Amino acid sequence: MDFIELSKTLITIVLGTIGLALFGIVFGLFYKGIDRKISARMQGRIGPPLRQPFRDVAKLFTKENIIPDNSIPWIFNLAPLIGLVVTTSILLYLPIGGFEPLVSSKGDLILILYLLIIPSLAMVIGGFASGSPYATVGAQREMATMIAYEFPLAIIIVTMAWKLSSTTVGGLGLANAFSLTTITANPLWNTAGPFAFIGLIILLLVLIIVTPAELSKIPFDAPEAETEIGGGLLVEYSGRNLAMFYLMDGVKTVVMASIIVALFFPYNLSPLFGLGSYPAYAIDIIFYLVKVLIVIIFSVTLIRVVVARLKIDQIVYTYWVWLTLLALVGLICIMWDGQLGLPKVAELLGLS
Amino acid sequence: MFSFESILETLKTGSGFWDPLIWVIIAALAFLLIYVLRSFGKKEFKEKTEQTQSFLSGNPEYEKEQMRIKGSNVYWGFIETMKWAFNILRKIHTGNASDYVLWLIIVMGFLFIVVFITGAL
Repeated sequence: MDFIELSKTLITIVLGTIGLALFGIVFGLFYKGIDRKISARMQGRIGPPLRQPFRDVAKLFTKENIIPDNSIPWIFNLAPLIGLVVTTSILLYLPIGGFEPLVSSKGDLILILYLLIIPSLAMVIGGFASGSPYATVGAQREMATMIAYEFPLAIIIVTMAWKLSSTTVGGLGLANAFSLTTITANPLWNTAGPFAFIGLIILLLVLIIVTPAELSKIPFDAPEAETEIGGGLLVEYSGRNLAMFYLMDGVKTVVMASIIVALFFPYNLSPLFGLGSYPAYAIDIIFYLVKVLIVIIFSVTLIRVVVARLKIDQIVYTYWVWLTLLALVGLICIMWDGQLGLPKVAELLGLS
Repeated sequence: MFSFESILETLKTGSGFWDPLIWVIIAALAFLLIYVLRSFGKKEFKEKTEQTQSFLSGNPEYEKEQMRIKGSNVYWGFIETMKWAFNILRKIHTGNASDYVLWLIIVMGFLFIVVFITGAL
């Protein structure tokens, strides 16, 4: 790496981090507002205005930042910061707005999976550091939830990478199968036969159900469970520390939705209209924001409105038994599809 | 021999890749940015008052040993769910060395058959 290339990379990182941190926070809160509005309407309520999450953060910043006597103050204060910092850093590895990831050659999907663990871990550590019985119960539940949803999530990622990299019949034989640039440039729907198509729908469904657990949303919000353990691992957090966790939740929602968009819906609108340059950028960014919104509505809003909270053992059972089996069925469908040599669905529909 | 260039290289495993240095720079920048954002929030609170006590829905707080999750119960939800599988495993763990050797032979035999069949195909 020569000096000019290094300088370019550093400038990209500095501007990218500032830009994407602002993007993640602003749109994370905006999508939170939409989510709250839609869920309220589904429950027959008017709901808060779309700007309510911004007001919530502003209000939290004016509230006292209470540090409990039983807590370990430096860990208690550091955990929310670390959570938000790492969540923000993931944005640089994701294809935001239909563009390539800003540091696409510096990290792949495996790195993103590891980074996704850290915000949840920060909540666990913050919960234990609170020194509150409710928070330790919440932290313990969060740990069990993390173990639960990682398994089906790993199956989804491995299946997609196998399809892209495999040199056997049905595989695409591509290098860097875990790279999001490779994944978004080769949407699997285009090369899927009927079985693989069904397999991909199954994997998408599983990933949509993994998302609320990643975000600690109903029905997988046992670690917080306000009506039972008063907010669980967040029970002792207030003021600016709680605001950090609140922002982390918003940014992580954008991250998870962007991962689903990148894996399953990486298409852009500009080639369809034959656009180039700035009009293409504009339409692709708008299209990306709409895709993220649709994913959030399906994976967060709809699920949390129609399903009640599960107990922690039910959460683990759902992920380790039902969703793991479902993901394995998806994997088998995709593996078989290549062996059967059936025509591609895209060709049958005249789309390729 | 260690070289400065090697620090800037992206680590490659054959399938995956990542650059730790780049991530550290990103995380440091994000930390700085978010730390500044956090500093706009109110710092003060009333120390050693009732507000710094743990929230327990009005219930009395007993000894820590009685109130908090024990280390042995940290994975309770997980262990409770997989109890059926753990019970099977517990029965297998007899503590008898000859039983363990028998299991070793059974597993080796199974693997041999799997490898043999896979090789034949």
